[in-house]
Amino acid sequence: MKLPVQWAAVRAIALRGLRNYFESPTAYVILFVFYLLTGYLFALPFFLVGQASVKGLMDFVPLILTFLVPGLSMGLLADELKSGTFESLATLPIEDWDIALGKFCGYALFLLAAVAGLAFFAVAAAFLAAKPFAIDWGEALGVLSALYCLGFMYGAIGLFASSLTRNQIVAFVGAFMMGFFFFALGKIAGFFPGALMEFAESAGVDSHLANMARGVFDTRDLLYFGSVAFIFLYLAAQRLRTRRFS
Amino acid sequence: MIQAIDLTKRFGNKAAVDRLNFEIPKGQVVGFLGPNGAGKTTTMRLLTGYLPADEGRAVVLDKDVAEDSMAVRRRTGYLPENNPLYEDLDVVDTLHYSARLRGIEDLEERVRRVKGVIGTCGLTSVVAKKVGELSKGYRQRLGLAQAIIHDPEVLILDEPTSGLDPNQVQEVRSLILDLKKEKTLLISTHILSEVTATCDRVIIINAGRIVADGTPESLSGDLQDKNRLHVALKGPPAEVGMALSRLGGVGNLRPERVDGEEDGFLLESAAGHDLREKVFDLAVERRWPIVAMRQERLSLEEVFRKLTREEKP
Ligand SMILES: Nc1ncnc2c1ncn2[C@@H]1O[C@H](COP(=O)(O)OP(=O)(O)O)[C@@H](O)[C@H]1O
Ligand SMILES: [Mg+2]
Repeated sequence: MKLPVQWAAVRAIALRGLRNYFESPTAYVILFVFYLLTGYLFALPFFLVGQASVKGLMDFVPLILTFLVPGLSMGLLADELKSGTFESLATLPIEDWDIALGKFCGYALFLLAAVAGLAFFAVAAAFLAAKPFAIDWGEALGVLSALYCLGFMYGAIGLFASSLTRNQIVAFVGAFMMGFFFFALGKIAGFFPGALMEFAESAGVDSHLANMARGVFDTRDLLYFGSVAFIFLYLAAQRLRTRRFS
Repeated sequence: MIQAIDLTKRFGNKAAVDRLNFEIPKGQVVGFLGPNGAGKTTTMRLLTGYLPADEGRAVVLDKDVAEDSMAVRRRTGYLPENNPLYEDLDVVDTLHYSARLRGIEDLEERVRRVKGVIGTCGLTSVVAKKVGELSKGYRQRLGLAQAIIHDPEVLILDEPTSGLDPNQVQEVRSLILDLKKEKTLLISTHILSEVTATCDRVIIINAGRIVADGTPESLSGDLQDKNRLHVALKGPPAEVGMALSRLGGVGNLRPERVDGEEDGFLLESAAGHDLREKVFDLAVERRWPIVAMRQERLSLEEVFRKLTREEKP
């Protein structure tokens, strides 16, 4: 697999994917559920204890993403494999890598729109704050960035799952299980002995999310999300190259 | 232009394509014929570089498909089996998308290409329709349009007329005939009339191997075990029969009705032994006008059946 990437084709595939989301009922249902759940859980503490914070999003949105991202990613490649359009794509003068990357970029753009929508909660929190608009905007940006990075990584995992099968349901389940592994790893790290605990902590998402959500942008955290995403993108492309689909 | 050298592909331990060898020169239109499961699609996938070969080589436009895949793909058009398309796109978007993926970035150039193939493939009346709403005939034209949008020198079509009604078959066929003027074509099919109507040459495969290769006419000739001639001469039947049976090379003679003439005969001779001149000479000599004469040929269909019949061990 060799760079350079053929950006013209990647862009065409990404834009087509993005448009596909905006025309697909599934994507709208997923967005609707996403904002509904998030809105409810965000507003709950306000009614109970009279305050709501953007930081609170970190308590539940990562788990929601673990469930919902597979719904957005399941069709990325499985659909093309099922309908046979992958054969047309794969016989164009582009590499399988370009196909995987294009699909992923389309997803990443849609995710950007979805996460940007969460900015509404930051504004809402600002209104509801004791001293209006005196919230920590740096922290709010950190929270949204952390959630985006998580969704970014989950999407690459989902892309790989979607390359494994023609069946979207299987792709969904696969993506969820792999994503949940990374999600849970940091939470159960405490049960591991010594060195293993440290490893589990840095391989899981929690520690990296926590840093970023404080508004601290550490290269190591960005590198974590970026490299996990890259590895799964690479695996997806390798998987496509085998041409053995079930 | 298209060359297979000991081309082999196995799935498990079964060879779907088994040491295939052929060479297609520039400008030739070749029908690739075989029953279902013969290995047509697999061969085409090897030639387009979709699948890697297990053994042997595919060479297209003088380039090895495995080594120089991108160069080959840029100059080759491919219509995969079942013509997969995005159902939710409309016709124009489908073509623009293909053109973009082929690296035709410039808008003016792209519009020109898209308009070009819309015209060539007769898609004008459906440009704004969604692919999912197209009739099978138009779908197929769209698949073809997509395959030729970059004006490839080599065109590989996997069953372009399967599932079409006779009118649609005719339309797609005449489209292919238009294309054949400038391109080298390999067309797979299991419909025989397709081959006689469009192809310069037929390659018949069965169980992954080539069982026949030649012009449609030569194949019928080669496979005939006997030469059969139906004749009717206007003369006293008994005398005519006697005279015909004495012609050199006639093995067997039987009276029969020939093309509506009561007193005709069927003459059988060894394969490749043409009796027509002798019959003509006899007719002239005896002044018996020839009212009917027809050399029997194996139809391509019979050739096909003979060659691809499953042989029981
Ligand atoms: N991806 C695959 N995996 C396993 N077997 C396959 C695969 N593709 C084709 N085959 C087998 O290879 C043989 C040739 O198939 P194919 O090339 O599709 O034939 P045709 O196009 O002439 O109908 C068949 O026996 C088919 O079952
Ligand atoms: Mg086939």
